[in-house]
Amino acid sequence: MDATRFEIIFIMGLMAFGARVLPQILFVGRKFPEAWDRFLRYLSYALICSIIAVTIFMSSARFETQAAPRRGLALAVTIAVAHFTKSAVTGMLIGTLVILGLSWVG
Amino acid sequence: MFASARFRQGVKAAIPIWVAFVPSSVAWGIAAQAHGLRLDEIILMSAWVYSGPAQFAVLEPLSAGKSALQVLVAGFLMNLRFLPMSAALAPYFRGVQRAKRAVSCHVVSASSFIISYLHFQKEREALAEGITRHPEPDGDANLYFFLGVGVTSFLVWVVGTGVGYGVALGMPHGFDEALKFILPGYFAGLLVVEMRGWAMPVICLGSLLAAIPGALIDPGWGWLTTAMIVATAGWGLEQWMLRGSRSSSSWA
Repeated sequence: MDATRFEIIFIMGLMAFGARVLPQILFVGRKFPEAWDRFLRYLSYALICSIIAVTIFMSSARFETQAAPRRGLALAVTIAVAHFTKSAVTGMLIGTLVILGLSWVG
Repeated sequence: MFASARFRQGVKAAIPIWVAFVPSSVAWGIAAQAHGLRLDEIILMSAWVYSGPAQFAVLEPLSAGKSALQVLVAGFLMNLRFLPMSAALAPYFRGVQRAKRAVSCHVVSASSFIISYLHFQKEREALAEGITRHPEPDGDANLYFFLGVGVTSFLVWVVGTGVGYGVALGMPHGFDEALKFILPGYFAGLLVVEMRGWAMPVICLGSLLAAIPGALIDPGWGWLTTAMIVATAGWGLEQWMLRGSRSSSSWA
């Protein structure tokens, strides 16, 4: 295993464990402020969306102009299907089929 | 109630989580293999970090060999959401040894939190309303229920990512585009299904649109910064509107 990657994964795990264990020590019998709870939830939603955009549309710090329309279309289809079927898996599968079909055609 | 019975009760309650974890863990395993991670790295990350969104967040910078600090900040911000979850569960584990609580909380995830928390609340309400004559479960009984939910879900997650890696290996060439789309597509679908109120869609859309210009300005930190700005702005606006509606109702 790559040593740097191992160190990063190890430290990441420690930080995740810290976030899980700290309240068990500090917050026993106390309530976490609701406003903070909301902020942390919104922060993770925003981060996920940001990563979705970067993962789908960028490669090696460059915007992939040629592939962007088909990937954007596949993302839009995924969102629409997930919204109407209320199923993330169905949305993902249809979106993947769309991108597969479009990349073969193109 | 015996510890094993309480654990079994948790295992039964966890079945919907297993069903949800199978596609997401397999999707992560597939994406990780497509990004060039090895099986041992994939298994280590799933078992030690055990956080789907954080694992998703660091996949791109980790595989691209970006700075460790960037990967860690992304993972840290994503894992902050465990603070309120673990804090909400803490009162139900009152009386349990600190070391036992510390080890057990490794399996806190969004799903194991929701199932356990709602179950504990239901039990407390049933007791308050006199629906049940059973005494309120003590901290240890609650912990065993939580472990039944958490440990089995954890195992499904770790095994699922390994299976995903195997599935990706077996894929013929020409599927690269699809393999890279699976995980972001799944998370996009999840967010859409979970959307409530006005703030979340606005924040998600804002972040989605701002990420690319942000990443073009600064490939390392741009997308992280824009996400933090959008989340803070959306949350601030919501807090401001909530305060406004509270003060206007107090005037009325």
